[in-house]
Amino acid sequence: MRNVLTVLMVVVGFALQGISYFVLADPWVTTGIPSGEPRLIAAPTLFIAGVVLVFLAAVLYELLPERRGR
Amino acid sequence: MSVNVSGQPLPQGIGRVTPGWLAVVGAAAAALAVGLYAYSREASEGLIETGLGDPGTGRGVAWGLYVAFVVYFVGVSFAGITIAALIRLFRIERLQGIARIAELLTVVALLLAALSILVDLGQPLRGIVNLFLYARPQSPFFGTFTLVISGYLFASIVYLYLDGRHDAAICARVPSRLQWFHRLWAAGYRDTPAERERHRRTTVWLAIAIIPLLVVAHSTLGFVFGLQVGRPGWYSALQAPAFVVLAGVSGLGLLIVIAAFMRRVGVARERLDEAVFSLLGRFLMVLLIAYLYFMVAELLTSTYAGSHHEQLITQALLSGEYSTIFWASVGLLVLALGLMVWQAVTHRWSIAALVAAGLFVNVAAVGKRYLIVVPSQTQGQLLPYVPGSYAPTLGEYAVVVGLFGLGVLLFALFMKVFPIVELPEEEVPAGA
Repeated sequence: MRNVLTVLMVVVGFALQGISYFVLADPWVTTGIPSGEPRLIAAPTLFIAGVVLVFLAAVLYELLPERRGR
Repeated sequence: MSVNVSGQPLPQGIGRVTPGWLAVVGAAAAALAVGLYAYSREASEGLIETGLGDPGTGRGVAWGLYVAFVVYFVGVSFAGITIAALIRLFRIERLQGIARIAELLTVVALLLAALSILVDLGQPLRGIVNLFLYARPQSPFFGTFTLVISGYLFASIVYLYLDGRHDAAICARVPSRLQWFHRLWAAGYRDTPAERERHRRTTVWLAIAIIPLLVVAHSTLGFVFGLQVGRPGWYSALQAPAFVVLAGVSGLGLLIVIAAFMRRVGVARERLDEAVFSLLGRFLMVLLIAYLYFMVAELLTSTYAGSHHEQLITQALLSGEYSTIFWASVGLLVLALGLMVWQAVTHRWSIAALVAAGLFVNVAAVGKRYLIVVPSQTQGQLLPYVPGSYAPTLGEYAVVVGLFGLGVLLFALFMKVFPIVELPEEEVPAGA
């Protein structure tokens, strides 16, 4: 359970980073229309949340109590 | 061997207030008060209280002392977490004693860096809100703020926290007014073999994740300057790597100074022995040589084959308006290197000489950061503007003094509530 949750947090964290960076923020490839606005407001916040989630996985991995009987 | 520490006082003078400690805290609090007063003036009157202005037509600089210290503090943070991560990754037992000081140095330096950015903004609140809502990933600022300030700071706090659980568990066994805090930090840690193994695995993975993150983060800060094609003096491929190396130099230097201070006041003297300092000194010497090489390579390129504007900047550094700061910084770096080489050749490492070298490289690093930030704005105009000028005001100096005061205060408070030098493994209570 511990491993599953940790890996899940890491995967979700990296996914959040990737999606917010490449898809939701101001596009990397310009379409000819001057931009500067993110596609989704607060996309940078999602990126930061992704970074935080990845490192929080380490805390979860260490803090989850042992399974009973172990 | 396991030792039950119950009934003994908390280690490393935790919870014990001494006159010396009070004096340090008093001085740091006074410095912080001066900084807060200066910043309150700036917050109410605006940036007119500073020497900052518009580059170009305004003949001023938009980034001055504060931004120089952003770069300096971020640089200092580099060595802290790098050393801590390398110690965990390669199990460098000899340096185990300074790992926590290094981790704390990173956290404190990053906090100070974030505050340095905030005091530089005319509207700090607007800056923070807009960063979270609208920052653009194409901009190096995005990387600087998201990776350095948020990601890197958070990662360092996680590292510090998880690494401290073992010592928190030991301290939590001692009845004291801080027991609740130590229990909270330990969060049920009992130092079982399974927990130890899990912690070892976590720290290795964290180290693996943090080292590339911090190289990217520091390079990104270098790119804030290095990618500005219209700003001679900044636009250079060497900017990012030189940033990283000077970051290592200043951070290691400060780590040596802090570790020597801890040893001086009697905190875990046996763990901060000469061997620790000689190893740090060797690291510092190598980084210093690498940085001086980068500096000479950059100067040679800009003087020999640089554009007209590049040469103007270089001239201002070598013999013009900024030559005093430039040569003083170079002199201090060379002096520090001389001290290192002399000790390496004679195989006699002196803590006093290492502290002197640590102080020299830090003063030099501040000078070099200032020279990275300012001259390219005053002399680096591609358009035919009259060269500008910049002189920090007393208020700016006071804010910087306040930031240092805050840093010292955080260190001083931490060392009275938690072991600042890791407790040895042997002190783990058996089966506790």
